[in-house]
Amino acid sequence: MKNKIFILLLLCLFLCGCGNYRELNQIAIITGVGIDKKDDEYEVSLLIANAQKSETTSKEGESQPTVYSGKGKSLVEATKEVDRKTPKQLYFGHINVVLISEEIAEEGFLNVADWLLRNPESRKKFYLMMTKDSTAKEVLEIVSPLESFPSQNIATLMGSNEETQAITNSVTYSDFINNILVEGIEPILPSITVIGDDKDGDDKANLDTTNPNSYLKLETIALFKNDKFKGFASENDSKAINILKNTVKQSIFTINYDDSNVNLSTKNISSKIKIKSAKEFDIKVTGDATLSEINSDTNLNKEQTIKNIEKELNKTIKKQINKAIKKMQTKYKSDIFGFGNLIYKNHPDAWKKIKDKWNDVYFPKIKVNIQTDVELVSTGSLENTIRKEDK
Amino acid sequence: MEKIIKNAKLNIEKVKKIYGNSSDLTTRIIKLGKINVGIMFMESSSAALTVSEHIIKSINMIADEKSIFESVFDNLKNRIFNSQMITINDFGKFPYFLSSGFTIIVTDDSDKAIVLETRLPLDRGVTESSSEPILRGPKDSFTESHAKNLGLIRKRIKDENLWFEEVKIGRRTKTRVNIAYINDIVDKKEVKYVKNILKKIDIDGILDSGNLREYLINEKSAFPQVQSTERPDLVCQSLLNGKIAIIVENSPFVLLIPAVFIDFIHTPEDYYQKPLNISLTRILKFISLLITLFTPAIYIAITTFDQIVVPNELLISLAVQRESVPFPTSVEIILLMTIFEILRESDIRMPSNMGTAMSIVGALVLGQAAVDAGIVSPIAVIVVAFTSICSLIFTDIDFMNGIRFWRFIFIIAASFLGLIGVVIAVMIFIFKLASLENFGVSYLSPFSPFNVSAQKDAIVRFSMPKIFKRPNYMKIKNFTKQGGEHEK
Repeated sequence: MKNKIFILLLLCLFLCGCGNYRELNQIAIITGVGIDKKDDEYEVSLLIANAQKSETTSKEGESQPTVYSGKGKSLVEATKEVDRKTPKQLYFGHINVVLISEEIAEEGFLNVADWLLRNPESRKKFYLMMTKDSTAKEVLEIVSPLESFPSQNIATLMGSNEETQAITNSVTYSDFINNILVEGIEPILPSITVIGDDKDGDDKANLDTTNPNSYLKLETIALFKNDKFKGFASENDSKAINILKNTVKQSIFTINYDDSNVNLSTKNISSKIKIKSAKEFDIKVTGDATLSEINSDTNLNKEQTIKNIEKELNKTIKKQINKAIKKMQTKYKSDIFGFGNLIYKNHPDAWKKIKDKWNDVYFPKIKVNIQTDVELVSTGSLENTIRKEDK
Repeated sequence: MEKIIKNAKLNIEKVKKIYGNSSDLTTRIIKLGKINVGIMFMESSSAALTVSEHIIKSINMIADEKSIFESVFDNLKNRIFNSQMITINDFGKFPYFLSSGFTIIVTDDSDKAIVLETRLPLDRGVTESSSEPILRGPKDSFTESHAKNLGLIRKRIKDENLWFEEVKIGRRTKTRVNIAYINDIVDKKEVKYVKNILKKIDIDGILDSGNLREYLINEKSAFPQVQSTERPDLVCQSLLNGKIAIIVENSPFVLLIPAVFIDFIHTPEDYYQKPLNISLTRILKFISLLITLFTPAIYIAITTFDQIVVPNELLISLAVQRESVPFPTSVEIILLMTIFEILRESDIRMPSNMGTAMSIVGALVLGQAAVDAGIVSPIAVIVVAFTSICSLIFTDIDFMNGIRFWRFIFIIAASFLGLIGVVIAVMIFIFKLASLENFGVSYLSPFSPFNVSAQKDAIVRFSMPKIFKRPNYMKIKNFTKQGGEHEK
């Protein structure tokens, strides 16, 4: 018995696939990967987080992120070139974010997807983003005053924006590939761009000014059909997409009431898509809203006013969702909402017949009934408008 | 058996001869009529004042008065002032009694000797416990005096079923060893077994209870299977739970058997404080047990093999700290752990007035300077310091050393195989502990085998009125702690 247990324990030794001895100071921790394509060559940029600041001691625990890039016919070839430039062993376990440029996205993401997925070192939970109007390398090089290293900057930027703005949508690498492969749903990606001169942004001096010369800004959602990039959604469309995908916590809507703009922030918005038939879907949106800015002299103490504002808000949300769906049906012909997936799940037989032409023929034809039920629950810290409260 | 000669002078000569005319052997001959009375005692271990105040005085008194007894021997035997008197007829026992501090009286008219207790209290008083201090509860501790030690137990448990059985061990030291137990709780078979073991010991000397523990149990693990304590209240708690205590003459540490793993995590104070708070304290202790066992191993594993489990920021911070360190992580940790163990060991042996120098060298030179010089990384110092602090929570030195032993095993396993190695080592660790058994009690009781009712006083402690039973993993014949009509 004892021997058997001992043999079993010995066998455990051979089960550890990725166990590999390496000291921390022998590895270059990569936290960001940028993939560009120039001419016929791929350019891979790797953001290495633990390059040490030359003038400080290790005691302070600060690091100087550095971007290395290399070119090659394939991604692996390109990384091999980076490997030759760095004295340390490249370590892919802690990637935060992967950026792909527009060229790569247009050409099809599946051309480059294999490498990181196959790498046993990398965990597949990193964010995937697309760059807009700038190369992935440029985005990686931007040093932010608010975060200690760039990739973290991108990740937190996305996290905070997703929660409060609802124009972006964080997508992990595996989610994205999943959405490409799952039937009846098309993927989306958040996008990011560099504002200002990117030559200044990779300089540490960018940290010393109160008004940084260049910074990163999140852009709207990038729409895909299969693995190919089709175009950017508008800001309003992005909001609608996020509501339908249930990936929004807070958002802001501006409506027109009494000839002045009223700002409302919504909370806990959730949507439910129900399938009626292969051609008709019901969407129900529910949630709460809070009045966040109103500058007219509307009397908010009247119940009717609140009702009216609520009605106007619901109308706006409904309009935006409707517009977004219409645009997907006509302009991009890409079912990013996953209506097709619902058919696939509920009517698999019907799906078999239509799946080949779903995006181009059947999706543009489906009918969507939208019902919104967002309640205005609070007027914030003020009961009425300032003008009214004076009196 | 060697007979006593009916001649006081010859007897004294004989004793002097066997002691090689040792300077502390004091003898005196008093004449009562025609009969010589010989008095012998060791001035080193007897109270000379008691001898003169009580014995010499009463002998002189007897000489003055007329007696109803015929022989001088009977007269002395019945009239000397002393509470402890034995008559012996074996000359061979003389050295034992003399060395123990007794006074021996021999007369010309008898082949017996009178032995009187005149021991000098050669011990410190009952002081506060220094190795197991507590905040609330009885503060006294055992001393080197055997009678006092037994008294400290006896005065706490006034039941006549508290029995002390004595065995003398040591060819030369003739140390008194007492087995204490409560007769109607304990399993008598175990007592008999312990007694047999003790009787079989044939060694020249037993100087401390620590000498005995290896005879009691063949301890195959680094963890102790015999608990030793200098707290009388802990001994009494254990006796009430059906354990056997072994009290050794001249040793302030009493052995308790059988001991299980959690006994070393519990303290006697646990029962003097609020149950809720003590439960939290115990949970804290279990956490620190895990920390002190595994922190260095896990640190090595995650920095050299399994970096993937470390969060981003932490890994980068660790990597930057390790940047200029010349040693591999495991060497660094083993180095620091060894330095700490040396510091601890020297701290125990060193006279206390040198402590300041020690702490300066230890803390400043080895800690701060080593980090500044870039020989070790700050995080390694943190890991070792944290590990060491957590190990100091446990009072039993053998338990601490057991933890240290296994910590090094885990470190080595982690250095070769990373987290997988740690997991394998943990499995071996648990197998090893679970396979231990002493006196019929499994070492990991009450967790393995799992015992529901004993959980009331394991990791958490229920309030006293709710604990009706003695821990039922024990092999005892009476489990009723409170309640139950026919029980005490």
